[in-house]
Amino acid sequence: MLQIDSKYIEKALSANALEELYPLLQNAVELEHSTIPPYLTAMFSLKPGSNLVQRQIIHSIVIEEMLHMTIAANILNALGGNPVIDQADFVPEYPGPLPMGIGNGLIVGLEKYSTDVVKNVFMEIEEPENPLVFKSVSLAAMPTYSTIGQFYQAIQQKIEELAPDDLPGDKAKQVTSSFFPADELFPIYTKQNAIDAINIIIEQGEGTSTSPLDQEDELAHYYRFEELYKGKRLVKDPAAPNGYSFSGPTIPFSPDDVFPLFPNTKTSMLPAGSEELNRMNEFNTSYYSLLSGLHTTFNGQPGMLDNTVGVMYDLKLTAQKLCAMPFPGKPGYTIGPSFEFIVPVGS
Amino acid sequence: MSYLHAPRLVFTGDFLSDVSTVNNDTAHYNNTTFKPNFQEPGKGATNGWWNPEGGAVFDFQNCAVKQVFLPDGTTQTSQSDDIIIGQAVVGAQGRPTGKMVDLDPDAQMFSALWCVQLRICAANGDLLFKGDITTTSFRDLQMRQLDGGKSNGQPLGASWTSVITNVEWGPLAEQSAFLKALRATTQNNTLAINMNPFGYYYNHNDGRFSLGRIIGSIGPYFEGEPLTFAAARRLYGINYTASARGTYFSTSNFLVEPDAKRVSVDFGASFPVANSIGTINYNQDLRLAVSKVPQTGVASRQTPTFYINPNDFIEIGALGYQSDPNWLNQTGGIVSFNNLPDATLSALSNNQLILITPSTSQPGQFAIIAREAIDGLVARADNFIQRLDDGQSVNIDFYAYQWGKPLPNASISVTLDPPTPDTPVSPQNPISEIYGNNFPADGLTFNGQISTDPKGKAQMLLAGNAIYSPRVYIDGQIYFITYQTATVDQAFGTEQVVVHLRDYFQEIAQPVWDDISEMMIQYSNLYPIMSKYVVNLADPMALAEKKNILIFAFSRDMNDTMHMPVTRDLSTTKRNTILNWLNNPQIAPKGVVRSDAREVRAANPVAPGTALTDKQTRYREAVKAKNGSFPGFSATNDLFENL
Repeated sequence: MLQIDSKYIEKALSANALEELYPLLQNAVELEHSTIPPYLTAMFSLKPGSNLVQRQIIHSIVIEEMLHMTIAANILNALGGNPVIDQADFVPEYPGPLPMGIGNGLIVGLEKYSTDVVKNVFMEIEEPENPLVFKSVSLAAMPTYSTIGQFYQAIQQKIEELAPDDLPGDKAKQVTSSFFPADELFPIYTKQNAIDAINIIIEQGEGTSTSPLDQEDELAHYYRFEELYKGKRLVKDPAAPNGYSFSGPTIPFSPDDVFPLFPNTKTSMLPAGSEELNRMNEFNTSYYSLLSGLHTTFNGQPGMLDNTVGVMYDLKLTAQKLCAMPFPGKPGYTIGPSFEFIVPVGS
Repeated sequence: MSYLHAPRLVFTGDFLSDVSTVNNDTAHYNNTTFKPNFQEPGKGATNGWWNPEGGAVFDFQNCAVKQVFLPDGTTQTSQSDDIIIGQAVVGAQGRPTGKMVDLDPDAQMFSALWCVQLRICAANGDLLFKGDITTTSFRDLQMRQLDGGKSNGQPLGASWTSVITNVEWGPLAEQSAFLKALRATTQNNTLAINMNPFGYYYNHNDGRFSLGRIIGSIGPYFEGEPLTFAAARRLYGINYTASARGTYFSTSNFLVEPDAKRVSVDFGASFPVANSIGTINYNQDLRLAVSKVPQTGVASRQTPTFYINPNDFIEIGALGYQSDPNWLNQTGGIVSFNNLPDATLSALSNNQLILITPSTSQPGQFAIIAREAIDGLVARADNFIQRLDDGQSVNIDFYAYQWGKPLPNASISVTLDPPTPDTPVSPQNPISEIYGNNFPADGLTFNGQISTDPKGKAQMLLAGNAIYSPRVYIDGQIYFITYQTATVDQAFGTEQVVVHLRDYFQEIAQPVWDDISEMMIQYSNLYPIMSKYVVNLADPMALAEKKNILIFAFSRDMNDTMHMPVTRDLSTTKRNTILNWLNNPQIAPKGVVRSDAREVRAANPVAPGTALTDKQTRYREAVKAKNGSFPGFSATNDLFENL
């Protein structure tokens, strides 16, 4: 069962001042970001024009992780803190654990798309407090444990308790974007704004306790991944115990249309002076550019967000080209994007 | 002031240019004859050339500051002298990379940098300074590589000259005495920059595909000076090298500073190199001198070499490049001679600089490798690449100099080049008819006779008029406008203002897919990277689904790196029509048949097969040489032979 190290929840619950929540919200920003490279790597491994549902579902989840990262950073700013995004320790080492001991040792790597990865990694990351079980597994009583959702709930509870109605942060630092609906990404000015925003993170990730849908009537991440794992759409089914079942249309999957990425490709694995290394450097240069651009965005220049959207396209295009490149010296493999924190240097 | 003035820095490294190549072929613009294999890598018009999936990215890679040159004439090469030496020169951070694009498939010689940010940072990313390089296009393409580009495929080099604006000085700037001096010298918080790219890889060799070498220098800028070329004196190559069918050392800028008693010559764009990374593999005795007699020689196969008697020149000094094969990369190829004797400086004030070498065929004489422009005259258009819609106009700025000083009352005549003929389908042109350029003549209005003011500057108003698809399947027309002063120095020839005038098009307020489909399908054909990885531009349903991001991209300013299309070839009215469609995507076909009662397209005034002018023929050959469709360059083994 996926767990968060309970000390983070205790820290939140024992906070006596808003400042004590800053490191936890920084952790939250890091956590939301940390899921994006694994998801994107799997998505980039899908050959262009193929496995379209897989691509679409992962893409929709990545977009929401970006939203959650933005919300967490907005809350941190709203409480008077400063998100830090442009430092080396912001980026996890893959394969490795996610921030805050998520998953009780769950090791997350950067791998090609497979139903195994969906089941054993992605669904683990997104697993709700009480996953609703649809039609195949019995509804056994769940032991109590702490989830990401509970972590956010603890923060939410403390904000409710400690914060003034009008939050102390510089309102000019709030980031919004035309790429997200205004009822999902809104400026956090008040305590109620912060509470509402945290609910969005929890529900999009986990669903509500009674439905796989979030408030926007979209499937929570866990269930979207479960659709991919089962190869079936989760649809309303009055005959099923929870009102839903995996009885919708089949989701076709063509394993041949996945690039065989070498798992957890690193820059250091590529030959010095090779075209492949140059392409990888180009990728990580974009990644660094993106992180530093986001740092600037969340530290007083919210208008920079549009520019970072452009960097995301640079990053995506380079990654897709990498995924198609044969791995030098590793027959049968292509190169995965390494998502390493590398400051571009001169010669 | 210019990039050649002190204080200046030199940086060297690589550049990445991921230009796309399906659009290198004019015939590929014809949607009706387009085939999927035009998107596959491979030579020949029925393939997509060397990088069909290019995304137009331009960026600096592995670039570092090599040395700085100070006003007192000293050069510093170690970080212990100044913190900026050795630091990385990198591109944009937090926004997309710059882009490199041609003006048009019929104007490929002016590859331009758009939206390039330049930053100089310490190893931990801390900033010394950063700024934005103003859009600038290739000038002075010339032969560089003696090996004929054997490994990389492209032996030519060029120059980009520009200014850096929006300069921000970082926290480390205060620690650099050099930067403090530069900041105190330059005006308007703007810097002058010159970059010489060469050694570009079309081939997947040496791990350097789509990389090239770049040598840059950055110096102070003064208001009122041209933005895309240095207000400098110029040396032209006049020694004919048979294997290259032309000259090396073709164009070099130089600067004479009488007060500092100094001459600085920039061979960064012209010094012949052994290979794609700029190694020097010869040790010829090369010297700079001032000719006491006018030099008017022009390289030709018939008269490959011109000579000068030692009595007829004042020697300045020898180029001390021989000690280090990496000399060019380390110094940027800029040589400065300080403490010149008064007689030399005086001679330089109205005599030509020459680059000479001792003659072996005529002992006691010297062969002239390059000489200054005749009468020291340099006249160039600044904003010489233009994109115009009908009804728009722009002032083209011209600057004239003699012996490095602004030249008043210089008369400049400006003439539209003759139309080029259409090329029918044939075995040599297998895909589609290709239409000619430079017509209809009434597409542009300008006054062809201008004269420089007391500051040596002249302006010419250039206005675009409505034209109606003279090239049928490519928007608008390309116009070459040649300008010249009273006498033309044939060692350099004439230069041109080049205009892409867009077709007349009336914005459609409520377009349906049929109204924009030809444009979008053309983009889909030419830029497979978009349809493959982002959105199928030929599919209205897919476009509608991604309309938010597309509206974002199509509504950016042209000087925004995210501007779509990246080629910047759409008229405002067409772009707005696309935006109108994206805002309300109507996929159903049009109810009424579209009126085709448009203005009749201007017929090409010249018949197919009409001979090109010599210059137009040379231009076509040069385009092939530049865009990778030239069958093969030969190596030069006779650079300094028979002199």
